[in-house]
Amino acid sequence: MNAPRHLFRIQCIGCVTRFLGTPVQRVILPGGAHLQTPGSQHSNGQFLRSFHCSAVCTTSRPNRTEFEKAVEHPTQHKDKSLITHDDLFERAARDSNTKADFNRVVDVFNKADIRRRGHVEFIYAALKKMPEFGVERDIAVYNKLLDVFPKEVFVPQNFIQRMFNHYPRQQECGVQLLEQIENYGIIPNVETKVLLAQIFGEKSHPMRKYQRIMYWFPRFKHANPFPVPHVLPGDPVELARFSLTRIADDLDAKVTIYQYPSTDITETGQEVTRPHILGIQSPDQRSLLAKHNPCRPVYVEGPFPLWLRKTCVHYFLLKADPIPPEEKVVEEDVDPELIGPEQSLFYPQRVELDLERDMGDDESFYVDDVEEGLVYAMCMAGQGDQATLSQWISGLQETCPILGQIPTVFRLESGPRELQTSSDAQQTPEQEVEIDQIIEDEPQRSQRVN
Amino acid sequence: MGLNKLTLLTSTVRLGRNVFAGRFAKTGDCLHRFQSRRSVRSSARSLAYAKDLFLGKVNKAEVFPYPEISNEELEEMNQLVQPVEKFFSEDVDSKKIDHEAVIPPETLKGLKELGLFGIQIPEEYGGLGLSNTMYARLGEITSLDAAIAVTLAAHQAIGLKGILIAGNEAQKAKYLPKLATGEHVAAFCLTEPGSGSDAASIQTRATLTEDGKHFLLNGTKFWISNGGWADIMTVFARTEVVDKDGQKKDKITAFIVERAFGGITSGKPEDKLGIRGSNTCEVLFEDTKVPIENVIGEVGGGFKVAMNILNNGRFSMGSAGAGMIKKLIELTSEYAGTRKQFNRSLSEFGMIQDKFATMALNAFVMESMAYLTAGMMDRPGVPDCSLEAAMVKVFSSEGSWICVSEALQVLGGLGFTKNYPYERYLRDCRILQIFEGTNEILRMYIALTGMQYAGKILTGKIKEMKRGNVGVVFEILGKKLKDSVGTVDFGLTGKDGLVHPSLTESAKMFEQNAGFFGSTVESLLYRYGKTIVEEQLVLKKVADVLINLYAMTAVLSRTSRSISIGLRNHDHEVLLTNTFCKDAHFKNNFLLTQLQKNSPENNDANIKKIAQEVLAKRAYVCSHPLDRTF
Repeated sequence: MNAPRHLFRIQCIGCVTRFLGTPVQRVILPGGAHLQTPGSQHSNGQFLRSFHCSAVCTTSRPNRTEFEKAVEHPTQHKDKSLITHDDLFERAARDSNTKADFNRVVDVFNKADIRRRGHVEFIYAALKKMPEFGVERDIAVYNKLLDVFPKEVFVPQNFIQRMFNHYPRQQECGVQLLEQIENYGIIPNVETKVLLAQIFGEKSHPMRKYQRIMYWFPRFKHANPFPVPHVLPGDPVELARFSLTRIADDLDAKVTIYQYPSTDITETGQEVTRPHILGIQSPDQRSLLAKHNPCRPVYVEGPFPLWLRKTCVHYFLLKADPIPPEEKVVEEDVDPELIGPEQSLFYPQRVELDLERDMGDDESFYVDDVEEGLVYAMCMAGQGDQATLSQWISGLQETCPILGQIPTVFRLESGPRELQTSSDAQQTPEQEVEIDQIIEDEPQRSQRVN
Repeated sequence: MGLNKLTLLTSTVRLGRNVFAGRFAKTGDCLHRFQSRRSVRSSARSLAYAKDLFLGKVNKAEVFPYPEISNEELEEMNQLVQPVEKFFSEDVDSKKIDHEAVIPPETLKGLKELGLFGIQIPEEYGGLGLSNTMYARLGEITSLDAAIAVTLAAHQAIGLKGILIAGNEAQKAKYLPKLATGEHVAAFCLTEPGSGSDAASIQTRATLTEDGKHFLLNGTKFWISNGGWADIMTVFARTEVVDKDGQKKDKITAFIVERAFGGITSGKPEDKLGIRGSNTCEVLFEDTKVPIENVIGEVGGGFKVAMNILNNGRFSMGSAGAGMIKKLIELTSEYAGTRKQFNRSLSEFGMIQDKFATMALNAFVMESMAYLTAGMMDRPGVPDCSLEAAMVKVFSSEGSWICVSEALQVLGGLGFTKNYPYERYLRDCRILQIFEGTNEILRMYIALTGMQYAGKILTGKIKEMKRGNVGVVFEILGKKLKDSVGTVDFGLTGKDGLVHPSLTESAKMFEQNAGFFGSTVESLLYRYGKTIVEEQLVLKKVADVLINLYAMTAVLSRTSRSISIGLRNHDHEVLLTNTFCKDAHFKNNFLLTQLQKNSPENNDANIKKIAQEVLAKRAYVCSHPLDRTF
C-alpha cells in the first residue's frame, strides 16, 4: 500500500547519506534506518502516522486518523504483549530454527486458545521473527500466519461498517503482513486471497493491498534482465564462475579454472590452503593481449566488489593503459582489389563514390567515446594476495605466451578482510555490524528489481 | 529492326558474328573463327544492359531481338543433344549414384566418350568447341543428374576455365587436350577453411624458391569439388609481389597444379546433403613444387582470373534449373492426371493447378534469362555479363528450390519417400543457392555494382542538388512531374516498338518499373551515398527489383521473337509472359515503394531490431506461452 512512499523515503535517505558520506550515514541511520528493516512493523506504523499527519493526507483521507489511532493502540501495549510472544519464538529457536519449528509455534498458539486471544500481537511478533527462522521468503508460512486470524469475525456486515474502518487494528496487522510479503518481493498466491476474503471480506484494506501487489508484482517480476538467483551456489568455485560470466557479458568468453581449492598438510604438519583461482577471457581479449606491446606493462588491479544480492564477491582485472595514439597499429591493409567494388567473389565492401550519407538519413547520434585502458582478463580467487594472482597470470601465459615478456605490475589495494561466500551466510557477530550497514536497503532494492 | 540500329551495332561490333547477323549467317565456320578469337581480347564493349537500368535507361539494343543461333549450329546441337539425352535416360542411374555417393566409372567413361568433359574447349585442343549458348543447352540435360552436372561443372566451368580464358598458348597446348578427353580431371581450389566470403583470409601461400624457377605451395583448400580425383588443379595462393612503390605486398596468384607435382593429399570426401555423387573434399598442399611457367596470367593477377572464371560460369545454372523443372513437370503431371481424390483427378484442383503454373512460369523465365545471357556472352568482344549471369544464378537457384518443393507437394507423402526421386531433387537443388557465390553475396554484388556504376555518373548531379542548385532541383522536379503525368516510354511499344503488340501491356509495366527503378536508385544514392554498402536490406531489395526487371526483359524479348517468327505454341508463351510480367510488376512496385523514404511499408528497422535482440541472446527471446508469473 505504501510501498511507493516507502521507496521515496528510502531514496531520500539514500541521497542524503550519499551526499554526506559514510561516517554521517552511521550517525543518521540509527534514527531512520532501523525503520526500514523488514522485521520492525511497529516502527513503520509510527512512521506512517507522522507521515499521514500532514495536512494534505488528512484532507484527502479523513478516516485515516482513526485508523492510525487504532495502530497506536497496540504500540502502547507492545512491550508487554510482544515479550510474551517473542518468548514463545525464542524458546522454540533455542534448539533449532527451521520452518518446522516456526510452524510448530504457530500451531501451539492456534491450539492454546480457541478465541485466539492476542493474535495481532502474535502475528507482529511472528513477522519480526521470520528472518531468524529463514522463512521470510516462504509464502506458505505467511498464509499460515494469516490463518491465525479468526475467520468471518472482521468481515463488515452492513454499509456503516463498510463505510468506516472496521476492526482497524486487525486490518492494519493484515496490511503489515502483506507489506512484509511485498518487501521480500514474493508474490502472494490464491490461498492468500481466499484467506483475506474469509478474514476481512472482499473490500477491506488488506484485500486492496493484496490486489495492488498482484497488479504490480507480476509485471515487475522479470523487469531485471540480469536476475540473480535468491540462492547462490554454495561452492565458491561455482559462485566465482557465476559471477565472472555475469560481469563478462560476452557469450564467447570462457571460464578457466586455474586452481581448485584444496587443503594439504605438509610434512611439518602445517596446513597449507590453496585457494581457488578462476579466470575468464574472451577470444577478443585474447587476441588483443597477443597484440599488446611488450614494452608497456600490464597491471593486475583489484579487488573490485561485486554484489550479488546480499553477498559481496571480489574480482581482479588484468588491465593495460590506453594505447597512446602514436602506437596504434594501423589496420592491416587488405588488398583493395579483394574488397573493392565490382567484385563478386567476396562481396564488395565499399563503393568508390564521392557522396556522403544525406543528413536526413543519418540516424546516428553523437557519441563521445572515452578511451579506456584495455581489460585483458578477469579473475576471482580465494585469496587476494600477489602470490595467488601470479598463479593466475602464469596460467594465462599458457594461452597467451606473450604475457611472459610483458612486465606485470600488481596494483592491489588492501584486499577484503575475508572474501564472502554463501558459506558465510551465518555471520559471526563481529561481521554482522559491518554487513548490516550494507544490506540496510537491500530488501527494498530487490523489491524494485523484482 | 530499324536500319539505324543495325548500323549502330555494326559500328560497335566489327569482328565476327553478332546476334543480328546470326540470323543471316551463311556458314557455321564463322562461329569457330570467333571461338578461336575469343581468347584474343579485343576492345571491351561499352554497352551494358543491367547496369544501365540503374540509370533508368533501357538499353534495347542489347536485349532485342532475342539472340538466336544459326541453322547449322542448331543442327549440330541437335545431333549432339540426342545421344546425350539417350545416355542420361538409359545409362545413368541417379538413385544409385545418390545412394552410393559415387559416380560409377562406366558412367564417367560414357560421359567422356560423349565429349562432355571438353564442351567449351576449342576443337584444335580436342574439345567440342561449343559456344556458351550450346553449353547452356547441354546443361539442361546434364542437370538431370545433379552429381554429374556438378562434377562436369567443377571440371570445365571453373576447373579448367582458368587455362582457357587466361592461360598462354603453351599452357593450353600442354593441358587442354588431356582435359578435353577427360583423361585428366580438373578442379578449382579457391575456398579455404578460414575464408568463405572473407577476402583477407586466404592463407595458402606460394613462395618462390631460391633459383626462381619454382613456387612452393603450402596450405589447405576446402570443399573442393573433384578434389579427390582431380589431376589438374587451378589453385589460388598468396604470393609476395613488389608493387609500383617498391613495397612488398601479398597478392593472389593463380597456378596450374598437377597432382604429379607431389605434396598433394586429399581428405576424406565430405558426406553431403545433396549432390552426393560428386566428390567434395579437402586438399592439402605441402611444399608442392610448381614451376613458374604454371602461373596463370601474371603473378599477382590471380584474383581477376578467379573472378572472370566464376562470373562467367554462373549463367548456365538457369538452363540447368529449367531442364530439371521441365523434367519434374513431366513426372508430376502424370501423377496429377491419374491420381483420383473425391472422384476428381488431382489436376482438376485449383491449388494443384497453381503449382503447375508456378513450375511452368519459373522454367520459362529461367530459360529465357539463361539463353539471353548466353547469347550476350557469345557476342564478340569481351562482354561483361557478370551482372546478368549473377542475376540468372540467383533467380534460377531460388526458383528451382520452390519448384522442386512444389513438385514434391503434388505427390504429398509419396514425394517424401525415397521411392520417388523428388526428395533427391530437393536435396540436390539446395546447393544451388550456396555454391558459386551464395545468393546473398551475389545480391550484394548485383546491387553494389549497379550503384557504383550509377553513382559515378550521377555524383555531379546529386552534389549540385545537395548544394541547392535551383536549376537542377527544378529540372528534377519537372522530370518527376512529367513522370507522374505521363507514363514512362522507352520506345518498346508503339509503331517502331521492339516488343510485339500482344505484349504491349506487359511492356508498359516493364517500362513503368524501369523508370521508377531509375529514380529510386537516384534517391538512394542521394540518401545514402557511399554508406549504401552498409544498407544490406536496401541492397537486397534493389537486387530483387533488378532481377525481376531483367527477367521481364528476357521474357518480353523471347516471346516477341517467338511470335514474330511463329514458333510453335507461342500463344502459351504470350500467356506466360503476361502472367509473369504482371506478377513481377506488382512485386517490383511493392519493393520500390518500400525503398522510398519513410515508407510505411518498410519494416527494415524492426527486422534489424528483432535479429539484434535474438542474436544478443543467441536464443529465442520470448517466454513460453504457457509460462506464468504468479
